[in-house]
Amino acid sequence: MTELTERYLAAALRGIPEAQRTDVERELRSSIADALEDRVGAGENSTDAEKAVLEGLGDPTRLAAGIAGRPLWLIGPDLFVEYRQLLVMLLSIVMPIVGVIQVAVGLSGGEDLIGALLAGVGGALTVGLHIFFWVTITFAAVERFDAMREAREEITGAAGRWTVARLPALPANRVSAAETVGEVLTTALSIGGILFLNGLTVPGTAGGAIPLFNPDLWSFWTPALVAILASLAGLQIVVFMMGRWTTPLASANAVLQLAFSVPVIALALAGLLINPAFADAIEWPPLAEGRGPAMLSLAAGVVLVAAWEIFDGYRRARRADAGAAGLRETGQAAR
Amino acid sequence: MVDEELLGTHRQELRRGTVVLASLLALRAPEYGYALLKRLAAAGIPSDANTIYPLLRRLEERGLLVSEWNTDDSRPRKFYRTSPTGLELAAQLMTDMTDLTASLHALNGGPDR
Repeated sequence: MTELTERYLAAALRGIPEAQRTDVERELRSSIADALEDRVGAGENSTDAEKAVLEGLGDPTRLAAGIAGRPLWLIGPDLFVEYRQLLVMLLSIVMPIVGVIQVAVGLSGGEDLIGALLAGVGGALTVGLHIFFWVTITFAAVERFDAMREAREEITGAAGRWTVARLPALPANRVSAAETVGEVLTTALSIGGILFLNGLTVPGTAGGAIPLFNPDLWSFWTPALVAILASLAGLQIVVFMMGRWTTPLASANAVLQLAFSVPVIALALAGLLINPAFADAIEWPPLAEGRGPAMLSLAAGVVLVAAWEIFDGYRRARRADAGAAGLRETGQAAR
Repeated sequence: MVDEELLGTHRQELRRGTVVLASLLALRAPEYGYALLKRLAAAGIPSDANTIYPLLRRLEERGLLVSEWNTDDSRPRKFYRTSPTGLELAAQLMTDMTDLTASLHALNGGPDR
């Protein structure tokens, strides 16, 4: 075996799951050796023979994809239309909004027109890149995770025998791209809000800046809460791809909602959310108190929003289930 | 004169389905991948290495083939053999293939040409 074969094997095995790798490598090695032996035995020179054998096996990436049974594409034809629809919609709505806000902020901050415009374009492009990245990641994940793909196929009717019961719901019943854009936008605004408040400070008497949030939160809780909100946005995209809410999706939503609201409430009521120094600096100490009016109403608000969101997820799932069952009955009656 | 490339594409398409059947039939006697390739070629059903190796794994995954490593020789080889389910499937496919050929002959020699 020469370097060429080793390079071929390395390239092919890269695309094979760890568990299968040894087995595939052994089989490919012996197959290449067998083929090589035959050609050399027939009088071919070994360099040419090796080239011919490897070229006979073809592109190692393709071979690996065939062996591993994995798609070679990031987003396949099943999902592509929905992917493009959601992406175009998100980009065309969010990018201009962000751009205009950025320009307005820049102008009101005393920047000249050119500077403000440039900042607007830059901000819009940054947000666009984020949207592109996250939406693509979510779709690519659904394309790959078997459990999610099966759930999707069960709903959209891509698996098994096709019956009329599997026709997708009319646009009125289907979760629309507009609705999803709205939900994702709301979540993105919440993330923006947290990051904005996180950067909010007042000048301290000693000269330093006093942050609004308890600085201890930054190391863990702030990033964790932002990550949970981002997962909620991802979940909305999954719901859009599925076409409707399902009980497992509603449960995932409930878990994420609780993962967000329980820590926020606990931190608020323990008086750990707001920096006491900030409350003192603005001369309203009760702001930071765990049992103060501000934290109590914040906790109550979070409870209400989370309860509604959890209830709404299950309600939509049940409604969609009922709709699908109704269609199935119609289908059976017609038979 | 039929264009070579056009002929090639359609031939390939025509043969695609028969490689599975041919492999299931050939592997009634255990064989390793490379030997199977040669055997199929000798039998007049040429196939590519990059078709056969993924195919063998897929058929094994679906329980139509069983495999076993043979390390007696100087070179370890993975031997595949058609499973009982594979044999049943092959028998069924063979009947279908015969019927299909008969149907094509009938069409070819039929009255409305």
